[in-house]
Amino acid sequence: MTVKNGSNKSSGALSNISRRKFMGTAASVAAAGTITGFPNIVQAADPIRTIGLGVSIINEIQAKAAKDVGFPIRGQALGYGALFGKTLNQNDQYEVSECYFDMFDVMIPSKVFQPIDTKRIKDWDKVSNLTKTGMLTPGSQVGQGDAPVRQIWVDENGARTKGPSRYISALPGWHNADSLGYNPDDTGRPIESWAELFSSDFKGRVALLNVPQIGAMDAAMGVEALGLIKFGDKGNMTRKEIDFLVDFLTKKKKEGHFRAFWETFGQSVNLMVSGEVALQSMWSPAVTAVNAEGVPCIYASPKEGMRGWHGAISISAKATGKKLDQAYEYLNWWLDGWAGAFVARQGYYMSTPANTKKHLPADEWDFWYEGKPAAKELPDPFGSPLVAKGVVRDGGSYEQRFKKIAVWNSIMSENDYLVKRWTEFLTA
Amino acid sequence: MSKVSELHHTGLIGSQPEPDEAAVQAKIRHTEEGFATVWLITPATIWLVLFLVVPLVSIVIFSFWENTPQGLSPAFSLEFYGEYFYTKGFFDPEADRFLLPSVFIRTLGSTLYFTLVTMLLCLIVGYPIAYFLAMQVQAFKWQLALFLLCMVPFWTSYLIRAVAWLPMLGRRGLINQALLGMGIVDKPVSFLFYSEFGYTMALVQIYVVLSIGPIFFSLAKIDKDIIEAATDMGATPFQIFREIIGPMSLPGVAIGMIFIFVMITGEFATAVVVYGGKTSTAGTVILNYYGIANYPFAAVNALMLMLAMVIGIIVILRIVDIRKEL
Repeated sequence: MTVKNGSNKSSGALSNISRRKFMGTAASVAAAGTITGFPNIVQAADPIRTIGLGVSIINEIQAKAAKDVGFPIRGQALGYGALFGKTLNQNDQYEVSECYFDMFDVMIPSKVFQPIDTKRIKDWDKVSNLTKTGMLTPGSQVGQGDAPVRQIWVDENGARTKGPSRYISALPGWHNADSLGYNPDDTGRPIESWAELFSSDFKGRVALLNVPQIGAMDAAMGVEALGLIKFGDKGNMTRKEIDFLVDFLTKKKKEGHFRAFWETFGQSVNLMVSGEVALQSMWSPAVTAVNAEGVPCIYASPKEGMRGWHGAISISAKATGKKLDQAYEYLNWWLDGWAGAFVARQGYYMSTPANTKKHLPADEWDFWYEGKPAAKELPDPFGSPLVAKGVVRDGGSYEQRFKKIAVWNSIMSENDYLVKRWTEFLTA
Repeated sequence: MSKVSELHHTGLIGSQPEPDEAAVQAKIRHTEEGFATVWLITPATIWLVLFLVVPLVSIVIFSFWENTPQGLSPAFSLEFYGEYFYTKGFFDPEADRFLLPSVFIRTLGSTLYFTLVTMLLCLIVGYPIAYFLAMQVQAFKWQLALFLLCMVPFWTSYLIRAVAWLPMLGRRGLINQALLGMGIVDKPVSFLFYSEFGYTMALVQIYVVLSIGPIFFSLAKIDKDIIEAATDMGATPFQIFREIIGPMSLPGVAIGMIFIFVMITGEFATAVVVYGGKTSTAGTVILNYYGIANYPFAAVNALMLMLAMVIGIIVILRIVDIRKEL
């Protein structure tokens, strides 16, 4: 991955695993060389092409899928910007796009995908209510912005429908909720609100995510928690709201409040490990990575709620005939449980928790989904030790985490204006 | 063999022998025949047309397209050029932003500012090193060895060089440890890193080699006899530098400056890694608009950056006529 390369969005677990991934790749290449005979069957079948971020396009995942479904799957991992652009402008270049529900205000009207028939999704009834009703458990808060439930339901022509329908815009995949990470030794107190992001106690020791769409929402959570403004919808701000937010941020920047703005997973880990920042917007697996370096870091559960994001596996409108059948097979495979267990070890949740549970040993399920202390040392997806015995995952159980999503990752109607004002903020 | 070539060689390049008159004539004849020349330039031409001209033309075409919610749409629209230059309240006496150029022009301006500062510092730092290598180090093998030493940073990846500043300049870095240890400060200073200071320093460290190389080659080409003659005639070292060494090394300076200028105006990674993303560069603006798939506006930004580069190079070449000097 290059330095910025379209800036990984709120999910880049890739950077911290890249070394292991490389080892894994090397191993699988070596393996491919030794296994003769078997690949002949695979090669006989036509491949399908899938694109996505490094979160879901990982050699191990597509290789296992290919083995299970019996045809090759060519995965291409892209940065967020490149994934967005290719998904929108080149839907003849992929059969499956492993993209995200926050892209769907653009993707649904542009009809780059075809509606997915839930009758062809074997485990559709096992997909949780997080995307079907917006509430993982009854009484949960749906959250502002591009919540999956607002993006998922379409008719057989791909146009949005008011409520549940037989067709969906994309199959719900992996997801998580992000908030703040902090070093308790540096902050000297537990962080329980997004407002702390702008506390003068941490002046010069704060970092913010420099992806305008997501960074602005994190900042908006803080500004709103301070009581300075009440946003109509943090996931779809008006120009006035954007102006207010950017003016506030610019003032803070000129005061020297921010230590840095990070763009990739690895940068956020570095900032915390090196002690440059005390508090920053952070992704959940990055906190695990900081702890793995022996630096204390806590993943905050702000009382205002977290910022959620949700993977969406989609089928290109250009996929027909046999390719379309293969795409469905690949989608069904994702829900089957093996992939859910794999992404769980990266800290992500899958839309079919019941199937995931079947593929996860009880110790791991208890740690990742139930928020219980690790009964023993637990591995990462590639088998290396990741979690020490006794550690508890910050942010609580899966249900707790998704009970109160304040806002979902979104692309605002005023996205261009936001990016322009964000540029001004950085130049100031 | 020309007699001139028997002249003593000093330094890596030394004094160049005069080309043999017959050889020059032969070369001219050969050129006039044309056949060989066409074949010689064919691979480069194909390469450049495919991978430079075609993409460049596409960028120009894209810059006029429209960006609709359904994706890109071919058009001839000047909307994004307007967006680039126009800013609300510009030239409006009522507005508080009177005469404040658009953020994109300001970003390009700050990019050029950092570039010029870095160029100047690279010259100040790089020239003495090149001078030392070319003039003070006599043995060829030492010149080569020391010159290669200058290249050592290029053996590691660019990113590692940028990231490596953190353990040095960071809050818990070496310098802060030293300052704290000596009791000069009582808490870590933060201006060293994620700051304009750290950013400029990193840029100079990364790019100074680009100025050392060409200046060194220019200096090494200067015939030592000329300097000796000047000394014999009673010139002071300052006079020698002003009248001989300075002017004769100008082409090297100009080439070095062009390298650095082109590299840094297009630079965005160092700003992210060493400045902590606390400034925008023309490069990051392009990336941001690429990131939201607004390719036409990214193209406009890219073209404006390129225009600024071309103007910058023309200015440098105006100051130093490389053709004449070489």
